[in-house]
Amino acid sequence: MTPGFSPRGGDRGGRGGFRGRGSFGDRGGGRGGFGDRGGRGGFRGRGGGGGFRSPSGEGGFRGRGGGRGTPRGRGGRGGFGAGRKVTVEPHRHEGVFICRGKEDALVTKNMVIGESVYGEKRMNVEEGETKIEYRAWNPFRSKLAAAILGGVDQIHIKPGSKVMYLGAASGTTVSHVSDIVGPEGLVYAVEFSHRSGRDLLNVAKKRTNIIPIIEDARHPHKYRMLVGMVDVIFADVAQPDQTRIVALNAHNFLKNGGHFVISIKANCIDSTAAPEAVFAAEVKKMGSENMKPQEQLTLEPYERDHAIVVGIYRPAPKNKK
Amino acid sequence: MAEQNSVPSDLYKHVYSFLLENKFTKAAQQFIKQAKVPPQNEKQDAGLLDIFNFWVKSPEAKKRKALPNGPGTSDRPSAKKAKTAESSSEESSSDEEEAAAPAKATPTAKAAESSSSDDSSDEEAAAKKPAAAKAPVKSPVVAAAKAPVKSPVVAAARKKDSSSSSESSEDEAPAKAPVTKGKAAVATPKAGTTTKAAAAQKKAESSSSEDSSSEDETPTKTPPAKTPGPVKTPGPAKTPPAKTVESSSDDSSSDEEETPPSKKAKTGTYSAVPPPGAAVKKALVPTVASKAKKDRSSDSREEEKVSAVPVKSTPAKTVTPKPAAAAKKAESSSESSDSSSEDEDEAKKAAAAPAKAAPAKAAPAKAAPAKAAPAKAAPAKAAPAKATPAEDSSSDSSSEDEKEAKKPVAKATPAKATPAKTAPAKKADSSSSDSDSSSEDEAPPKPAAATKKPAAAPKVPAAAPKAPPKAAAATKKPATAPKSPAKAAAESSSDSDSSSEDEAPAKKANAAPVTKPATPASKPATQVVKPAAAESSSDSDSSSEDEAPAKKASLAPVTKPASKPATPVVNKLAPTKAVAESSSDSDSSDSEDEVAAAKKITKPTAAAKTPASAKTPASAKTPASAKTPASAKTPASAKTPASAKTPASAKAAESSSSDDSSSDEEEAATPASTKKAATPASTKKAATPASTKKAATPASTKKAAESSSDSSDSSDSDTETKTTPALTNGKPATPKASTPAAKATTPAKAAQSSSSQDSSSEEESGKAPAAVTTPNTNGTVNDKRKRAGEDSSSESEEEEEVTTPKNKKVVAAPQTFPKVSKKINVPFRRIVEEEIEVDNRLADNSFDAKRGANGDWGQRANDVLRFTKGKSFRHEKTKKKRGSYRGGAISQSVNSIRFDSD
Repeated sequence: MTPGFSPRGGDRGGRGGFRGRGSFGDRGGGRGGFGDRGGRGGFRGRGGGGGFRSPSGEGGFRGRGGGRGTPRGRGGRGGFGAGRKVTVEPHRHEGVFICRGKEDALVTKNMVIGESVYGEKRMNVEEGETKIEYRAWNPFRSKLAAAILGGVDQIHIKPGSKVMYLGAASGTTVSHVSDIVGPEGLVYAVEFSHRSGRDLLNVAKKRTNIIPIIEDARHPHKYRMLVGMVDVIFADVAQPDQTRIVALNAHNFLKNGGHFVISIKANCIDSTAAPEAVFAAEVKKMGSENMKPQEQLTLEPYERDHAIVVGIYRPAPKNKK
Repeated sequence: MAEQNSVPSDLYKHVYSFLLENKFTKAAQQFIKQAKVPPQNEKQDAGLLDIFNFWVKSPEAKKRKALPNGPGTSDRPSAKKAKTAESSSEESSSDEEEAAAPAKATPTAKAAESSSSDDSSDEEAAAKKPAAAKAPVKSPVVAAAKAPVKSPVVAAARKKDSSSSSESSEDEAPAKAPVTKGKAAVATPKAGTTTKAAAAQKKAESSSSEDSSSEDETPTKTPPAKTPGPVKTPGPAKTPPAKTVESSSDDSSSDEEETPPSKKAKTGTYSAVPPPGAAVKKALVPTVASKAKKDRSSDSREEEKVSAVPVKSTPAKTVTPKPAAAAKKAESSSESSDSSSEDEDEAKKAAAAPAKAAPAKAAPAKAAPAKAAPAKAAPAKAAPAKATPAEDSSSDSSSEDEKEAKKPVAKATPAKATPAKTAPAKKADSSSSDSDSSSEDEAPPKPAAATKKPAAAPKVPAAAPKAPPKAAAATKKPATAPKSPAKAAAESSSDSDSSSEDEAPAKKANAAPVTKPATPASKPATQVVKPAAAESSSDSDSSSEDEAPAKKASLAPVTKPASKPATPVVNKLAPTKAVAESSSDSDSSDSEDEVAAAKKITKPTAAAKTPASAKTPASAKTPASAKTPASAKTPASAKTPASAKTPASAKAAESSSSDDSSSDEEEAATPASTKKAATPASTKKAATPASTKKAATPASTKKAAESSSDSSDSSDSDTETKTTPALTNGKPATPKASTPAAKATTPAKAAQSSSSQDSSSEEESGKAPAAVTTPNTNGTVNDKRKRAGEDSSSESEEEEEVTTPKNKKVVAAPQTFPKVSKKINVPFRRIVEEEIEVDNRLADNSFDAKRGANGDWGQRANDVLRFTKGKSFRHEKTKKKRGSYRGGAISQSVNSIRFDSD
């Protein structure tokens, strides 16, 4: 996220133009007619709704929407969704869905209907009377999505969970986590950068289950008053001492038997060492912090020299055996 | 003699010229005699100084400098003073040490140590240090510790005293200082440097070198000698440092290193360790002139005394010597015994007190200050050696002894200092236990000796197996440390025994101290006589010196003489000495007796003949005390002769029995070292001095050889080598050492040379492996180094023989001036790949290596991104982020890698 973030931020701000250009061009080409069609209709509609995103959003949207012919909430109305048949089926990770169509996509159920957070595509599915909107979750933008697509066994984030998200950045992934945990869950989003924190705050404004914390994750005591015990800590801090940072927060806020999901960027820890060695070293460090790693997965091809490690904190005796 | 040739070659001339320039005619003369190297006037100080400077400038020098500086700087001046003091102090052989001590406050410390050991104890004390002397016996380690401590103290003292304590003190001081400081490496280096410097100076003094060694010792010892009490105090002080050092164990090594530095010091040391170097130089100079004689004499005396003491003690214990020793012991022997016990104690405990006590005792016993001093010196050395050994553990102890001895030898005077240091180092290393163990190890050989020793020094026996050997040797010296015991044994054996006589020469100092009367005269009687003659005034020195000179510096001669007395011994001794020298010092001393005996014993053992046998026992003891003995020997050797001889013999024997020899050497060395220890070093130095480096080298070589022979040697040698390097530097000499050895026993030389080398090597490597026994013997220096290196300690003795060869080799290498410890800047790495074990399943983080990669939603992306890099990668990825990516079907399979725990 972090790395991705700034770009995102940029995207957002600049997105309009940015995407507009790129996306349009690309998409247009790629999707051909489709994009065009949908683009127009859905586009604008959405654009209207999406505001800044409209440009990009549309583009992206269209791409998919068009491609799939997904009916979107809005887009759906027009020829947009109309054309495409899209089916959404739940992923084995609770709260995550797969949008099956011409091209599959990972989606989450949008908690705030009609809103795109960072210009992602939305897909509306009408089941009977109810309309459900899903937001596409791009694995190239989110390491959590990359982990899910890569085949991680457990993310331990599900509806109703209390999640601490370290390295929230602009809130793109946080928004999806927010979708997953739903209204019953909570997301403590910790981000130290004020610039990206600003975007995070905007996301949190519309998502009541997000508690933004603009603090240094190295000093959990500074926000201890804001945070209760959590079930899962997701960390994407890309710092040399990230394991320590996670451990500090785990000691403060993670319940026993809680889980952690850590994204490790090898180059942020030691760019001279082999990534595999870095990961092994980090995994070893976790062991000394009462954090028991359970699984590891590469994030290739979505991220380069990244790995995600999922583990349990102070596993209960039973858990341990 | 041969040694001289070999060793002296390069530096001797310089030293000689240097002496002459500084108007140390007497010293120069003696130097020449001992060194035999054709002292050519040709090279002037400039040469020496230049060399020194060069050395200093060398990268290695810097390293060395660090440690040495403190001590070194002070040393020189102090050294001179010390020398003066010593010279004056020399009067009484024990006095030397004591005198030195008195003269130099600091020295006293050393002296205390050494002095504490004073007589026999002296030797031990000297070798080990006073404390060592006392404690040494019991706990070599302590002794070592003390020794180290002493050395620091001494160093300090020396520095201060330096003038008084002169070089030896200086040397020691530096050495000690280093030890204390860097303890192991650093200290050692300094020590080494100092020692070396001292050695160099000594060499310059070459003949004087012994003196220097003696001086060194003396200084150190002197204080003790003078005031037993002081000594003691010093001892304690020393001990602490020693301990610290020991802790590092490296001390010995450090000592050795120091020694080397000292040698180097000549050139570089000064700068690096100005004090030491200066001291050494000064010491040398003064020493050279008056000191040369005095020093030598003193050294020799000291050594002798030491050795004598040890010897006596040993003898007393063991054989006749014991009785004699007893008599002597009364003072010295009792002292020695005490010292031995003390040595052990010290060695083990490093208990300064014991050491002191011992020294005190020794001193008192010896009465003859000179003796005491010498003894102390020797003891100190021995002690150090012992300590070292102790540290090393058994082998170490021996090695240490050897080292010390060697160091001493190598450095000769410096060596002593070094030895002292070494001892400390050893102590540190072996901690007491080691020394003990080492002593014990040695003991076996010594057992007989031990027995004697025991007898001689009840305490010693009590002290421990080591004690026994030490006890014997130690009794007085033993006290000092394993070495001392060894020394005692060696000495005792040698001294007491015929060997004792042999030692006498070497020990003369000791003996002299003890029996000063006879001593000088006889090296044979040496012990007794020595006391009087030798020690007291430079007599012992003379005798010892004579011997030493004869040998190389004094050592060779002494040793030989001593050994010779034993005849076989002599031969052996000679060889030993030659070889030993450095170690030989001790050896020579012991060697003489022990060495010869010991070595002989071990090897020739028998050869030692009576002495040998007597010695042998002693040597045996020595062995046990190995170091101690060595140290004892050293002391003897210290006197030079002994060491020289010892080394030679030791070497010879060693070479053959290298181990024995080594042990012997150690013992001998020790004794010698005591004397030599300091002496040994000095001896070596003396010899070496001739070839300053060589002396050391030889010693080292010998040690190495020994070490190799010793088993540990190799290791020692290694260590030594390393440490030695310093030595080596000093040693360049190593060869010289060998040379000396060679000289000592030319015949022996070959073997010895090798053996000597061993010793030298030991010294060098010595510290490391062989270090234990042989190393000790070889050179105090080695010992020191060994100590440092030693740690390997155990190895040393065992390795001794084995090592010997190595040592030699090592030695050779070491010989080169600049040893360099090359530090390589290692870039910071948060993750050290080499240290991380990566699960096979996780060894490849690529997409293709992942399960289910084929047909995965991300496969297309991988095909595109896999080959991109940098800007294009970013571009491609940005495109993907836009949402244009299509991957096909999404599977929900689990592709992660689970850790076993789950």
